[in-house]
Amino acid sequence: MMRRRELLQTTAVAWFAEQALGDDRRITGELKGASHAVGHLLRTAIERPPSNPPERAEVVVIGSGASGLSCAWRLASVGVPTRILELESFVGGTSTWGEDGVTPHPWGAHYLPVPEPGAKGALRLLSELGVLTGWDAAGRPRFRDEMLCHAPEERLFYRGQWFDGLVPRSALSASERHEVDRFLSIVESFSERRGRDGKPAFTLPGALSSTDPELLALDRLSMDRWLREQGFSTPLLRWLVEYATLDDFGASLEQCSAWAGLLYFAARAFESDQLGGSRYLVWPEGNGYLMRGLRDLARPEIQNAALAYALRETRDGVEIDYVDVATETTRRITARAAVLAVPGFIARRLVPKAPPRLERTTSSWLVANLHLRRRPDATQAWDSILYGARGLGYVDADHQRLRDGERTVWTYFRAHGGADTPGIRHGLLQKKWAAHASSVVADLAPAHPELSGELERIDLMVWGHAMPRPTPGFLGDTPWSHPPMLSRRIAWAHVDLTGFALFEEANAHGLRAAEAICDALGVERGETWLGA
Amino acid sequence: MLPRRYVPPVLLASVVVIATSGLVYELLAGTIASYVLGDSVAQFSIVIGLYLFAMGVGSYLSKYIEQRLLERFVEVELAVALVGGVSAPLLFAVYTSWGAFRAALYITVSVIGMLVGLEIPLLIRLLKFRLELKDLVARVLALDYVGALVASLMFPLILVPKLGIHRTSLAFGLLNAAVALAATFLMPVEHRSRIRMRIQCVAVMAGLIFGAIFIDKGVVRAESAYFGAPIIYNAQSPYQRVVITQSPRTTRLYLNGNLQFSSDDEARYHEVLVHPAVAVLGRKPRRVLVLGGGDGLAVRELLKYDGIERILLVDLDAKVTEVFRNVPVATQLNRGSLNDPRVEVRNEDAFTWIQQSDEPAFDLAVVDFPDPSNYALGKLYSLTFFRYLRERVGVHGAVVVQSTSPYYARKAFWTVATTMEAADFHLLPMHCYVPSFGEWGFLVAGPESRVKQAPRELLLGPDKLRFLEPSLLPEMVQFPRDMSRVEAPVQRLNDQPLVSIYTREWDSWK
Ligand SMILES: Cc1cc2nc3c(=O)[nH]c(=O)nc-3n(C[C@H](O)[C@H](O)[C@H](O)COP(=O)(O)OP(=O)(O)OC[C@H]3O[C@@H](n4cnc5c(N)ncnc54)[C@H](O)[C@@H]3O)c2cc1C
Repeated sequence: MMRRRELLQTTAVAWFAEQALGDDRRITGELKGASHAVGHLLRTAIERPPSNPPERAEVVVIGSGASGLSCAWRLASVGVPTRILELESFVGGTSTWGEDGVTPHPWGAHYLPVPEPGAKGALRLLSELGVLTGWDAAGRPRFRDEMLCHAPEERLFYRGQWFDGLVPRSALSASERHEVDRFLSIVESFSERRGRDGKPAFTLPGALSSTDPELLALDRLSMDRWLREQGFSTPLLRWLVEYATLDDFGASLEQCSAWAGLLYFAARAFESDQLGGSRYLVWPEGNGYLMRGLRDLARPEIQNAALAYALRETRDGVEIDYVDVATETTRRITARAAVLAVPGFIARRLVPKAPPRLERTTSSWLVANLHLRRRPDATQAWDSILYGARGLGYVDADHQRLRDGERTVWTYFRAHGGADTPGIRHGLLQKKWAAHASSVVADLAPAHPELSGELERIDLMVWGHAMPRPTPGFLGDTPWSHPPMLSRRIAWAHVDLTGFALFEEANAHGLRAAEAICDALGVERGETWLGA
Repeated sequence: MLPRRYVPPVLLASVVVIATSGLVYELLAGTIASYVLGDSVAQFSIVIGLYLFAMGVGSYLSKYIEQRLLERFVEVELAVALVGGVSAPLLFAVYTSWGAFRAALYITVSVIGMLVGLEIPLLIRLLKFRLELKDLVARVLALDYVGALVASLMFPLILVPKLGIHRTSLAFGLLNAAVALAATFLMPVEHRSRIRMRIQCVAVMAGLIFGAIFIDKGVVRAESAYFGAPIIYNAQSPYQRVVITQSPRTTRLYLNGNLQFSSDDEARYHEVLVHPAVAVLGRKPRRVLVLGGGDGLAVRELLKYDGIERILLVDLDAKVTEVFRNVPVATQLNRGSLNDPRVEVRNEDAFTWIQQSDEPAFDLAVVDFPDPSNYALGKLYSLTFFRYLRERVGVHGAVVVQSTSPYYARKAFWTVATTMEAADFHLLPMHCYVPSFGEWGFLVAGPESRVKQAPRELLLGPDKLRFLEPSLLPEMVQFPRDMSRVEAPVQRLNDQPLVSIYTREWDSWK
């Protein structure tokens, strides 16, 4: 009698909890990123040759992600106009953003840690955008206060309770605390360490890091193996580190190179009073802010829903064939040069004659934007992480606001870090909106049981090929040695060149490709914008 | 006595009522607990667990009841009516006046659970001679579940929205009492206690009806007890609850239950907020910016200067400024300052306003925000905010910032000071005793270093002031040893040390 009665009652209560706060408008939303189907046109090699007379352009950039836009920015700085072909209906690639709803919000990349001294291009961009306001006498950059992540930066839901920051210190046992501290002190020593070549052990862009074999040896281990070799075993510490490898690289501990895993923690050179607090640059639209900034600085001619499917180098230029997806017609552009700002697996199909050699495993991500009528709880942090959840938690797009407001958009992330990437990707792309949406709500339920009452809408994006994964050995025998030019007039710029996806990398590859193109075309480009 | 054949239907009908009301009391307790303590899932699961356990205890105890089953059943039912019926108002009263809420919650839930647990076994035993066992168990349990379903559907859909928490509680008490009353009619006529029990039932019912009629007044009374004086104005804005209380002597304003001012000594606070800053400015201000201060009391002080041309008041909450424009007790206090034609009120967030404003510089800015008790308020004490503030007053201008108590929250006070200095302000820290709040602190500041000179004169005659006089000034700028400057960090948007310093210091006095 007791059991059945209990069942009935708890069901009633759960239902009540759902109904109590919101009106019962049903939650709606949409699944974005429908271009997978279009992208796969590439596999079924398009037969029909372009019919119209060729269009003309100076330099064509394929892909409007951070690499492509950075490239266009650099070319614009020397007066070379660019035309960008972009498959999707939006600009920014995996750093794109949304503007519908109460506040702009990210769809992918959502923050930029204060760049390292060697990330010259990123620092230059921040300064042109007015984010970096100047340098003090000691050579440390100053930033606009409003754009550094406002306190509190992050919080963790651990065993039924929120904690400030990522480490729930007061809830840990002595041995857990000891492991966390030991880990942090190892990381600290790596961040101060230099290789025998005098370069920092870990820095960004990655190519400026030391190639001391002792350090590169870390790339042969997985992060999992490294942790075990160092005697780290508490689930909490392993969770903490895996949170990092998933968040930055979309890789589980087993799937992540120890070199990359340590880079996440150890690359941070600038210290100043201002950076005593959060060192994350954060905007409502995430790195979409940087994409918009690059677009406004470069003013390229951008054509959306344009799928490039073949490139051919001719005697005095490049022919680019693309599908205008809206009209399903094929067209050709002849240009003086072209830049492939697309992932390697696509670049290989576009230029079969001069394929980039790098093969990358790519991870899939699910991103959800939850439009809320009201924040379900009063304590607010930018980034909220749930211990033991399937996803990486969510960021609050309205966190940097300086006004008071109840409505907001939460961007929820889930990185799929397992080994079977094709299987995972296939599974994700099969699932319908409702299945994804309910799994997102369920994932947040331990911390926010009353969430569904506050939801206006959940929009979703499945990034099938979200980012390259730095698996053990990803650096190869001769790291950072790939030239930007694939042939005389075709360059390649993408985070696949590095093997992990961060804005500083995309930006550096874009600039490098642009400068190489200038050199190839004999355009005076002045000093390089890249770090030595 | 009713004919025998009525016994089973009456008792079975009571099963439904008992099951429904039992679950309703449990849902009420869970709702109130999550309202008061937050975290609805935890509260509901604790309440349900405790309730079910108590039911089990009740069922077990039923075996000790051996005689006069019907009589005992009526008594149990009446007890449920009484305890369950008053449970919601009782818990609420405990919350507003005594404070041992958890204890009261758990005791109430256990008592109701135990009584409800007694009921079903008693009923089964009462019916056992009239029905076959398999039939009996089937019917009683089925009806028990029907009752539970009825309750769980009615509760969120009808009861809470239509009746409200308190009346739901009282109404179900009434139903239980009605069941008890009906049961007395099943007793044999010769039963002597029959009449006495009916009187008890009627008395309980009358009490519950009386409660249902006067509950609203009671709630207001309970809150008045909480605020210590009658509430004469009560409204909810999107941001906060606005309450004004008035006793014969004193008018008080509470926002979210926190005292904002008391008419007894608000003159101390507002005179010290405004007039020393004007004295530091060294001339009668013409254009003044007031941030926060929607009660219009600082504006009242400013309007005492005859040269005033324009006062711009930026306060987030339109409800507060509306009250202080229209409600008579409020306009008596601020002398209608917010209706003065020279005063413009804007209901906007001060940070957004100050970031976007392109008004020509003000002579004086009076900043009167709530204390930095959370991150949202902490932003209004940040380096970034003070940099904007500095741009809003001319190079020869002055500002004054209310900055919590330098005695109770010493480091917090000096954190605000350190932050203002980092924004290139020169400072003249001041303090004054306000009985309602204790020793209070103000930071007078300006872009010029001359502001550090304590003023010797006020620019207003003694006839215009209730508290302040020039002879008090030297002491107000002296910080005795227990409030003197301590080393403190800078409050930045990306790192708000002030919020934790502030809460730690104030909590240490609790
Ligand atoms: C969910 C998520 C979160 C992330 N968070 C962060 C973060 O917080 N911080 C950070 O620094 N980085 C983050 N990253 C990584 C960041 O997005 C990348 O580092 C960077 O944006 C990669 O830029 P890209 O231009 O190299 O590549 P992409 O963004 O992959 O751009 C490639 C572009 O090419 C287009 N394209 C592809 N094929 C064709 C074709 N045939 N024709 C025309 N166009 C084509 C694509 O549509 C796309 O727009 C995140 C990534 C994801 C997916």
